[in-house]
Amino acid sequence: MSAISCRGVSKSFGGAAVLDGLDLEVPEGAVVTVLGQSGSGKTTLLRLIAGFERPGQGTIEIAGEVVDSPRRYVPPERRRVGYVTQEGNLFPHLDVAKNVAFGMPRAQRSSARVQELLELVGLGDLGKRYPHQLSGGQQQRVALARALAHQPRVVLLDEPFSSLDAGLRAALRYDVARILRARRATTVLVTHDQEEALSVADLVGIISEGRIRQFATPESLYSQPVDLTVAQFLGEANIVAGTADGSTVETVLGRLELAGTSRPLKGPSRALVRPEQLSLLAAGNGQGPAGAPRGRVTHREFYGHDCALVVDLDGASQQVRVRCPGQPPVEVGETVAVVARGPVLAWPA
Amino acid sequence: MATTATTGAARPLAALARRHRPPWLLATTSGLVVAFTLSPLGLVIAQAAQAGWGQVWPVIDRGFVATLLWNSLRLALVVTAFCAVIGTGAAWLTERTALPGRRAWAVALLVPIVLPDFVLAWTWSSVFPAVHGYLGAVLVMTLHLYPLVYLPMAGAFRAADPGQEEAARSLGLSKWQAWLRVSVRQARPTLLGGCLLVSLALLGYYGGFEDLRYQTFTTAIFGELQTQFAPAVASSLSLVLVAVSALVLFGEAAFRERGRSQRTGPGAQRAQRLLPLGKARGPALAGAGAVVLAALGFPVATLAYWMVAGGSAGLPAAVPLASAALYSALYSALGAAVATALALPVALLATRHPKRWSVALERSTFVAQAVPGVVVALALVYLASHYLSFAYQSPELLVAAYAAMFFPLGLVALRPSVARASVRLEEVGRSLGCGPLAVRLRVTLPLLAPGLAAAFCFVFLSAATELTATLLLVPTGVQTLATQFWAYAEQGASFGAAAPYGAIMVLMSAVPAYLLARWYDRGQARAALVGGAG
Amino acid sequence: MLAPVVVAAAALSGCGAGGTRGQAPITLYNGQHPQLTQALVKAFEAQTGIPVKVRSDDGIVLADEILQEGPRSPADAYLTENSPELMLLSQHHLLARLPASVMGQVPRRYSSPTANWVGVALRVDALAYNPSRVARRSLPAHLLQLGQPAWRGKVAIAPTDSDFVPLVGAVIARYGQATARRWLEGLKANAALYPDDESVVAAVNRGTEAVGLVNQYYWYRLRLDLGPAATHSRLWYFPGRDIGGIENISGAAVLASSHHRAEAQRFVAFLVSAAAQHILAASDDFEYPARPGVAPNPALPPLAALRPAVLSVVRLGDDLPAASLLQQVGLT
Repeated sequence: MSAISCRGVSKSFGGAAVLDGLDLEVPEGAVVTVLGQSGSGKTTLLRLIAGFERPGQGTIEIAGEVVDSPRRYVPPERRRVGYVTQEGNLFPHLDVAKNVAFGMPRAQRSSARVQELLELVGLGDLGKRYPHQLSGGQQQRVALARALAHQPRVVLLDEPFSSLDAGLRAALRYDVARILRARRATTVLVTHDQEEALSVADLVGIISEGRIRQFATPESLYSQPVDLTVAQFLGEANIVAGTADGSTVETVLGRLELAGTSRPLKGPSRALVRPEQLSLLAAGNGQGPAGAPRGRVTHREFYGHDCALVVDLDGASQQVRVRCPGQPPVEVGETVAVVARGPVLAWPA
Repeated sequence: MATTATTGAARPLAALARRHRPPWLLATTSGLVVAFTLSPLGLVIAQAAQAGWGQVWPVIDRGFVATLLWNSLRLALVVTAFCAVIGTGAAWLTERTALPGRRAWAVALLVPIVLPDFVLAWTWSSVFPAVHGYLGAVLVMTLHLYPLVYLPMAGAFRAADPGQEEAARSLGLSKWQAWLRVSVRQARPTLLGGCLLVSLALLGYYGGFEDLRYQTFTTAIFGELQTQFAPAVASSLSLVLVAVSALVLFGEAAFRERGRSQRTGPGAQRAQRLLPLGKARGPALAGAGAVVLAALGFPVATLAYWMVAGGSAGLPAAVPLASAALYSALYSALGAAVATALALPVALLATRHPKRWSVALERSTFVAQAVPGVVVALALVYLASHYLSFAYQSPELLVAAYAAMFFPLGLVALRPSVARASVRLEEVGRSLGCGPLAVRLRVTLPLLAPGLAAAFCFVFLSAATELTATLLLVPTGVQTLATQFWAYAEQGASFGAAAPYGAIMVLMSAVPAYLLARWYDRGQARAALVGGAG
Repeated sequence: MLAPVVVAAAALSGCGAGGTRGQAPITLYNGQHPQLTQALVKAFEAQTGIPVKVRSDDGIVLADEILQEGPRSPADAYLTENSPELMLLSQHHLLARLPASVMGQVPRRYSSPTANWVGVALRVDALAYNPSRVARRSLPAHLLQLGQPAWRGKVAIAPTDSDFVPLVGAVIARYGQATARRWLEGLKANAALYPDDESVVAAVNRGTEAVGLVNQYYWYRLRLDLGPAATHSRLWYFPGRDIGGIENISGAAVLASSHHRAEAQRFVAFLVSAAAQHILAASDDFEYPARPGVAPNPALPPLAALRPAVLSVVRLGDDLPAASLLQQVGLT
């Protein structure tokens, strides 16, 4: 049984479809992220699950109970859903402890229980503070503690880290994932940040055009995207045109082996070459392997553990991005030979 | 209008909110409320139309009206300018400089707001008969109205980012240049908003000008009522008054700069560093002291003096003091409750469903601010005597007048709280297991409470000291503190008899003023006042 | 949420008026001084048990309200300081006829010729002057002289006071529209304007103004308030029955639309009774009782000694021509 089950969910605002027949099954205890661009309907999906909006069509179940269908609607307060928004939305008139205790049954609003939750999120000594006296990261931790306090069946996180700065974001992300896993809380986190989506999740859903385009583990999503859209979503991607013959594809980067899932593909195609599948060799003065395409380095970015280089290929209006471990092997302006390693994924053009 | 204090709501959420159609009940209620607050304007026009152009035009087209126009304009210009200078200077002294005892000064400079214009004018002219005419009116009205600039400007200076002045200093500006060109310039919308309030209030006053023997539209309207047997004539004069007020309102809107966003980032603001006054300390103290003395010390002392020594204190009272106080409190409280209740749906609609039409609806209520009390009263008398005879001379009508006149004040005070009590918080509350009613009680109400209280206090304070509309609408057999004070003050020498009514009125409005000052001090009013009282 | 609030207000305002249980109160529109009226009302309530709700304002404002209200007027009785308002309401058939028993209490020339209202008290227009500003021998013999350039900057008037309009009406009645207009225009150029007669007499007393057109009783009330030592002004009655010395007749009427006509009539009858007239004479109001045989406040000179102008209430008429002239001249 899925903890959350969405089937054929559609929602439109003022005639514009935001969700269009969306299906999603979230297994019990899983941490699921839904990745999509702004306006792709991520937030709407969460709001439908929480019960703040009604879908136009479709059915939503939580823990096997139908909470929304054309015939049935369970209001938010009876869904036992924990909801954390981007801004935290702490109650400004209540202190931290009272915020956390808000959803607890009256009998349970004991300080011990609240204290336990605050310590869980690492804010054991801030119970008497008011929200405006907290930093952004602290506010999100309180919001999480508050969401967990009424023992929700599922926890929904709507871009919970996006208003924080980068360093804080990584630390909080780690903490939140740890806490949610420790409690085996079924979680849906929506984000537009692929790093966030991939690093936290057991399963990732890619949302686009009102549907889940692919729903899989982060690893298989990365290595086996169902289409170019998904491929471009996750990680960096070079898309090159080519002609396939069933087992290989001929491109400006040379003849590349097709990955198993892409076989047998024939005719005009578009191939996905990840930057780390490319390497560079200095090719000034006619050096370098014969037959490998050549180009000029136009840009470089150094990240410490590795570096990225952008190469304009000679004789083609194609630019490729290349990842190299360690120090950049070449300077901007140098001529290089680009060597590609298969197998690659490709789809009909 | 006050900008919504969104805490950086995500774009998709704002988009969602915009795509939502507002509940029809809220939209309809707000529409009716706005129609109600604007109705006096329509009624006055209808009344003039009924009387006929032939009867109205000769009243408007004569030298006397030109005199009134000239009187109103020259007074409005000069008093507004003085108020701008005194209000801004005082705000700067109490907020940005190391003025000795500046917290106490901040209160003392604000308190004169509770003294009604006709009490202040009466105390001055009863002691110094030379205080009359144009110069007298400039003096008294400046002393009475500068807090309307002081209050918002103090908020603006307090909220201003000291970093900007520092940046200006680093670009080579002197202390004074930096203050003028950065802080004052940035606060210009606030200053303009304050000046607008001063001009509009000035145009609507009656009692003070009568005391000072300065002819304005309002005194002329009352003059017409007292000598002519044609209320339509008085109403047609009030049309000119409305036109002048509308001109001021639109003038301010045209003058106002478009961009006014200042604060960025949710981070705690750096504390302001107080400027040492140095040699200017003596003059600064003397200046602040003179203003407080003239606007507060003198009138209060005069009231006290007449209460103790007034020769005619033995005059039999037509209405006992307690009864007048009771009715003042009752009508003001009802007016405040109704105005606050009316402001709530409009604030909710404009905050939670910010569409072009809902914002326009909210803004249009500020036109009501330009409709003077005498016009509202005349319109309601006309309405009741012609169409709602059951409400004629009823307390309900007076309460309705207060609500219509002071509704914009309630709205301004309520707006920040409504923005705080966002739909998102209600949703979070519901996802935590609270039903719709429980959420309203545990989340929405506590968040709205400070705003509701502030709106109530604001309106109560204004209604308790209102004279013009009260004179025309007070029910048969009833006197309020204001009307009874006025009845005695009008009787030439009855100083001792009038003083207790004035004193109780001031005391009664001091309570909400104190509450407001505390609310303001906690920073809740800042958004409302800095955002623009326009 | 509005309804209960309004109900509360109505309930509270209801219990504020009148005191006696059982008897429906009558509503009096009162243009007389509230203190005097209150003393009279109290005595009436004690005598009859009929409670009276009082609405006080300028006589003209109240007459105007009655005109607007027409047959729906909440007023049962009307008491005012000057006859023109009463004449106007009478012309509009808004006043009920009073029985001869009431009309007979005061001389006929103080009352409505059609028995629609009855005179209650009298005052005389006069000139307050400050001897330090103007010598007694320089005071004008005629009201019209105050419009001449010699008086520029020395006169105080209160053109919006209910008492000024009848004075203008009297000038029109005696000398015609054109003369009255010239006089008013001259007066406008000469005079400082005050909101009411109380302020005029106070300004003269201070010496701010040399002379002021008022009603004689304002000066007496000022003297009572300030005491003789602080009274630096005097009163000048225009001699030779000049129009400046016109009598102002305060009168009372019962509204034709009244639903409590009998009670209202009792009230009006009470006003001209010996009891009420003695209250009036004993009060600090300094009006002359209309009822023969009741001596005025001892501070006042006998009315006959003042030799007031003679102008019948009919010739004085209503206030309309005067109000219109005031407006044309730009004094209101």
